[in-house]
Amino acid sequence: MAQRSGQIIGYLALSSLLLITAWAFYGLSSVGEGGLSWAVFTDPYIHRILAFSLQQAALSATGSVLLALPVARAVYYLPKLWGKHAFLALCLLCFVLPSLILITGLVALLGGAGYLSPYLGESWNLYGLQGILLAHLFLNLPFAIRAFYLQLQAIPASSWLLARQLKLSSWQSVAWLEWPQLRGRLFTVWIFVFVLCFNSFAVVLSLGGGPQSTTLEVAIYQALKYDFNIPEALSLAWLQLLIAGSLFLLMTRFSTSSWLSADTAGAQFLPSPNTKSRILHGLVYLLAWFMFLLPLAALIPSLLQINLERLAQLQILQPLLTSLVLGVIAAVLSVLFALLLLSPIRLARLAGKAKQQWLLDVLANHSLIIPAMVVSVGLYVWLLTHLDVDQWGMIFVILINTLILVPFAIQQLKPRLFQFDDQYQRLAQQLKLNSLAYWQVLLPWLNRDLQAAFVLTLLLAMGDVAVFSIFASDEWVSLPWLIYSYAGSYRIVEASVLSFLFLLICGFLVFWLEQIKKT
Amino acid sequence: MKKIVLLPLLTLFVVGTAQAVDKPVLTVYTYDSFVSEWGSGPKLEAAFEKTCNCDLKFIAVEDGVSILNRLKVEGEKTKADVILGIDDGLMEEARATQLIAEHTQSVDKLSASLKWTDQDFLPYDYGYFSFIYDSSKISKPAASLKELVESDAKVIYQDPRTSTPGQGLMFWMKSVYGDQAEAAWQQLAKHTVTVTKGWWEAYSMFLEGGSDYVLSYNTSPAYHVISDKKDQYKAASFSEGHVAQVELAALLKSSIKPELGKQFLSFLVSPEAQAIIPVTNWMLPVIDGVELPPAFSQLIQPQRIGFTPNEIAAKRADWIKEWRSAAAK
Repeated sequence: MAQRSGQIIGYLALSSLLLITAWAFYGLSSVGEGGLSWAVFTDPYIHRILAFSLQQAALSATGSVLLALPVARAVYYLPKLWGKHAFLALCLLCFVLPSLILITGLVALLGGAGYLSPYLGESWNLYGLQGILLAHLFLNLPFAIRAFYLQLQAIPASSWLLARQLKLSSWQSVAWLEWPQLRGRLFTVWIFVFVLCFNSFAVVLSLGGGPQSTTLEVAIYQALKYDFNIPEALSLAWLQLLIAGSLFLLMTRFSTSSWLSADTAGAQFLPSPNTKSRILHGLVYLLAWFMFLLPLAALIPSLLQINLERLAQLQILQPLLTSLVLGVIAAVLSVLFALLLLSPIRLARLAGKAKQQWLLDVLANHSLIIPAMVVSVGLYVWLLTHLDVDQWGMIFVILINTLILVPFAIQQLKPRLFQFDDQYQRLAQQLKLNSLAYWQVLLPWLNRDLQAAFVLTLLLAMGDVAVFSIFASDEWVSLPWLIYSYAGSYRIVEASVLSFLFLLICGFLVFWLEQIKKT
Repeated sequence: MKKIVLLPLLTLFVVGTAQAVDKPVLTVYTYDSFVSEWGSGPKLEAAFEKTCNCDLKFIAVEDGVSILNRLKVEGEKTKADVILGIDDGLMEEARATQLIAEHTQSVDKLSASLKWTDQDFLPYDYGYFSFIYDSSKISKPAASLKELVESDAKVIYQDPRTSTPGQGLMFWMKSVYGDQAEAAWQQLAKHTVTVTKGWWEAYSMFLEGGSDYVLSYNTSPAYHVISDKKDQYKAASFSEGHVAQVELAALLKSSIKPELGKQFLSFLVSPEAQAIIPVTNWMLPVIDGVELPPAFSQLIQPQRIGFTPNEIAAKRADWIKEWRSAAAK
């Protein structure tokens, strides 16, 4: 009974989600006079930005993977490292960090009047490929470190014992133990980071520094907001969908990375490295700490430069509330949707209908394939011609963010729900629980996972810039958007103070997330 | 459109929210620096509200081209009664939206040197695009646009798709280089620090030491002398001549308060408003007989070059494409 109603509501939820996407595509395909602009596909400028989008994504992904390996190995081989948990938490923080916080930190550190810029020589310029790469490395390297570290941890202790008995040299251990373990993951992580960077928006918009470093994502925004060239924006959105969608499908051919799992290092057997490699690992570890903390620490000096009067003038409250309200609603909605969508998926699984389960899963996660910018452009174009953007924009920002975040919530809830089904489903059926009683049992069981899903989606929703930038009006402004306007006009003190505040909120949320994962 | 504004964007939102309920509201779209605490907006608002028995409400976007873009987006549904801050380069494109009403002001009030006859758009100030540099750091500034383009000096300018100065530079490059502009843009791109969305972002970055030159106006140094008591900022005088910018206001056909809008336009070219604008928006007045501070007499007086609004309207889209392709290489 409970299952049946759950299934119906689940299908309703799935349909409404698909409806939003369909609505966006209707917007993308329906706009009157112009339609698509075919000239876009032969324009050398578009070729150039397409090449640049791919180039920067490839460099960012390769850099992240190559640099992550030594750090992950250092953390793995030195199990008693000082501050290891904090380091892994910092990695998580960096990965979910709203990019504007990092951008402010980088500008404070390396911009025209940055703390480090005088030591970088006359020709140093943060804006352009170098700035984009630095930011992307900072945001994605920590993810790669976590993914590789967890992968290395999965090497069974028995393998190491065997390796010791066989007296394998350290190179042989790398070749026979580490490499087979990491090999599959390398490409998965690489392509995941590649997709993230290909769809990167705020970083490129803030640090691109002009047409020579523009990506497709930013070009869509510019076509819409700078040129008011709807046909061009639509054509570029289709192009973006085509590329990002294929990349994503390519990625799902390989398994997804478990990067958010808790650090499960128990009393595990590990070879003890010799002193030389111990020192080397320690240095790498220290260097990683330093690199991750530096741009965040660069926000602090500004805190001392600002007086209370100026702080009051900043009018932080309204944007802060906007971001919180927006984030909380989108997070609650996406977790709720995920929970509902999983009902039919679980039923299909219990009934052993593998094909149906797979199809439902793909449909529930379909927004992963479609870049946020594409959905936003479609709905924005529709909204323009039908309703008042100022009045409805906020609703659409929430709607689109919910759509985008549902897959992340699903990812968090699915394993636990499957586990529930395996352990208690039969019991629940025998007891003939009604809907209310069923949920009364299920929800407490899921409590921690619901919290984790909520915190993760809240973090991602609060950091959103891409969707917001499309619908933004001057009637209301989000915290990241305000930071963007300060950082963009080089008002580093104000941008830093706001970023620091934002960082504290995100830090708290990550801490909460880690606590949930640990217990 | 000198908009030296060192105040947060958010002051703009405050300006928008405090409004009386009973008085009629006149909504004006303009650019951000115009309504900053030290810009013309607050002073003009105070002066106009003394006589109009109305509430003047400014809504600000990043820069002049964005005003037009926003207008195109909103069409007849726009909330604006008046737009303030597009320029002669955008005039024909704005007219083509068919949203602009006649200003019904006598153009005889305007300085004869402007030779202004247009019945839809009303000038409220003007200036010449110029590159500003810090003379305490650069003793021998570039003497021509060509010299600047061929140098390796760090330059910041604005995006011609969003910003009227950026667009002005585009006209300037086309006037000087003609068919060779593409190569010139590529050369400039080699020593461009960044291309910003609006004037304010670029100028703030320059003042923070972000570049050697920033694209602004010949009138910018007057701001530094008068408000800042600093005389090291100078406009570089280029031998090819400079492109001028005439900033314009216009009434919209969709406005339900056309009389109030016309009253505001008339006020904009009154001696009272024209005395406020040069020392707040840092541009030159459009009527004769305005007494200006001495700093204005030290400004460079460039020779005017450029295109007619009709030539611009015909070519602007192509020139933007040329720019973005060239600057992307």
